Amino acid sequence: MTGAARKPYPVCPVAELPAGQRRIVTIEGKSIGVFNVDGRYFALRNRCPHRGAPLCEGQVVDFVTATKPYTWETQRPGEVIRCPWHSWEFDLTTGRSLCFPDTIRTTSYPAGASSAVESEKIDTYMVTDLQGMVVVWL
Amino acid sequence: MSRIPESSPPVATTVRWRAVDTDVHHQLRDISDLRPYLSRYDWQRLDEYGMPRNSNLYQANGGFRGARADCFGAGNNVDPRTRLDLFQEKLLDGCGIDAAILQGEYTPAVMALADIDFAASLCRALNDWTLAEWVGRDSRFRLALTIPIQDPALAVKEIHRLGGHPAVVAVYAVCGSPRLYGQRYYDPVYAACSDHGLAFALHFSNEGIGMNPAPTAGGHPSYYAETYLLRPQFYQAHLSSLLFEGTFEKFPQLKVALLESGFGWVPAFRWRADATWKSLRAQTPWVKRPPSEYIRKHVRFATQPFEDPEPAAALASVLDGMNADETLMFSSDFPHWDFDPPDAIARRLPAGIRDRVMFETALETYPKLSR
Ligand code: FES
Repeated sequence: MTGAARKPYPVCPVAELPAGQRRIVTIEGKSIGVFNVDGRYFALRNRCPHRGAPLCEGQVVDFVTATKPYTWETQRPGEVIRCPWHSWEFDLTTGRSLCFPDTIRTTSYPAGASSAVESEKIDTYMVTDLQGMVVVWL
Repeated sequence: MSRIPESSPPVATTVRWRAVDTDVHHQLRDISDLRPYLSRYDWQRLDEYGMPRNSNLYQANGGFRGARADCFGAGNNVDPRTRLDLFQEKLLDGCGIDAAILQGEYTPAVMALADIDFAASLCRALNDWTLAEWVGRDSRFRLALTIPIQDPALAVKEIHRLGGHPAVVAVYAVCGSPRLYGQRYYDPVYAACSDHGLAFALHFSNEGIGMNPAPTAGGHPSYYAETYLLRPQFYQAHLSSLLFEGTFEKFPQLKVALLESGFGWVPAFRWRADATWKSLRAQTPWVKRPPSEYIRKHVRFATQPFEDPEPAAALASVLDGMNADETLMFSSDFPHWDFDPPDAIARRLPAGIRDRVMFETALETYPKLSR
């Protein structure tokens, strides 16, 4: 983390980004989605690595899973963003793809990993509540 | 306490495998072959009405009556499918086949019978007859069991009755079916296969027959050639069903062999299946891995009819795209007209995967083969 080098960019007053809501802002020429997931803030690059869709305009959904066939279980309410174009799912809180099992398991990429693998993770940014303002750090 | 014998028995020599043929088709000479294996009542019924026939939608097949014209004797009156001596001469000895898995020519019609109890009686008789008259006369034969799959409970009974027989290595089913094979209706069959270490061997036939849907998703084609060409589509439908219903999650030991499906389509199917899963995973969340991974682990394809890609160099990318070293098994389809001999197929394969395709993958897929 190179926190010292990062700069704060105010997005809006905290009251204007209630739980379950999002804002899309442009910072340093990058489109970024800022989300309030049940009181926690997350920010993601608004660009799907698949075909370049505005990812952060997709539906915010739960993670659907199953312990055995013909059962459906929802977990992690509101922590998944589903791309508006071809429905790839990403973990809002980490930027990781949920449809590439191998990358879900990995926490860091080996140097020189292929771009196909790198593309399965979206850039994420730190978001804080700074004196009543939602602030993204870039 | 057991005594150690003074001279130990000779260590079983490891078979030097050359080729396993995963798909050959034998037939009864006459219904009277079954008489010893049927109850008096069932025999009377068979004698009176004959073997069930599935209506031939096209009044045509390929070759001569669907088989190799060179395998009929003078007068063309003896069906080569009925001649064990011909299998020995032209296939086992002639081609150097160490083990050949019999998928009965009689099976499809029995699987299309609505009368499930009579179907079950015929299955029992056909399996017993094959074990006695074919496997019993040449130990190179193995059997894929004929089962009344139209009723899973009766099918399971037959699997349990014979699943422990050393020569029974698989269960045989045909693609024409009122339901797709991943649907839970068939789960008891896969449970029984798993209990006995039997592969589930799926082969075309019965499409458009009886209660089954048309031979193509678009309806009934006019000509046999079209159904021949279009076969991959119904294997794809069953494969998709097995993948998305989670059959391989439910039965982690299960192996499914797709026989005579062709294989050039497999790489493209895998790409498409994975792309579909990436987009729609949440609808069938029990499918934990990309479909291509289940295919690699659980699904096997047979070489015949071997597609000769154009340009020839394209074969390498097909083999690569289907992980052919893990998923492709030799088959000849003897004595059918579109027979592929093992030497010609082996020659087309890259040397590095030749043994895998000619016998090794079959030995893994049908674990009872090598026992
Ligand atoms: S562009 Fe996002 S899934 Fe295709």
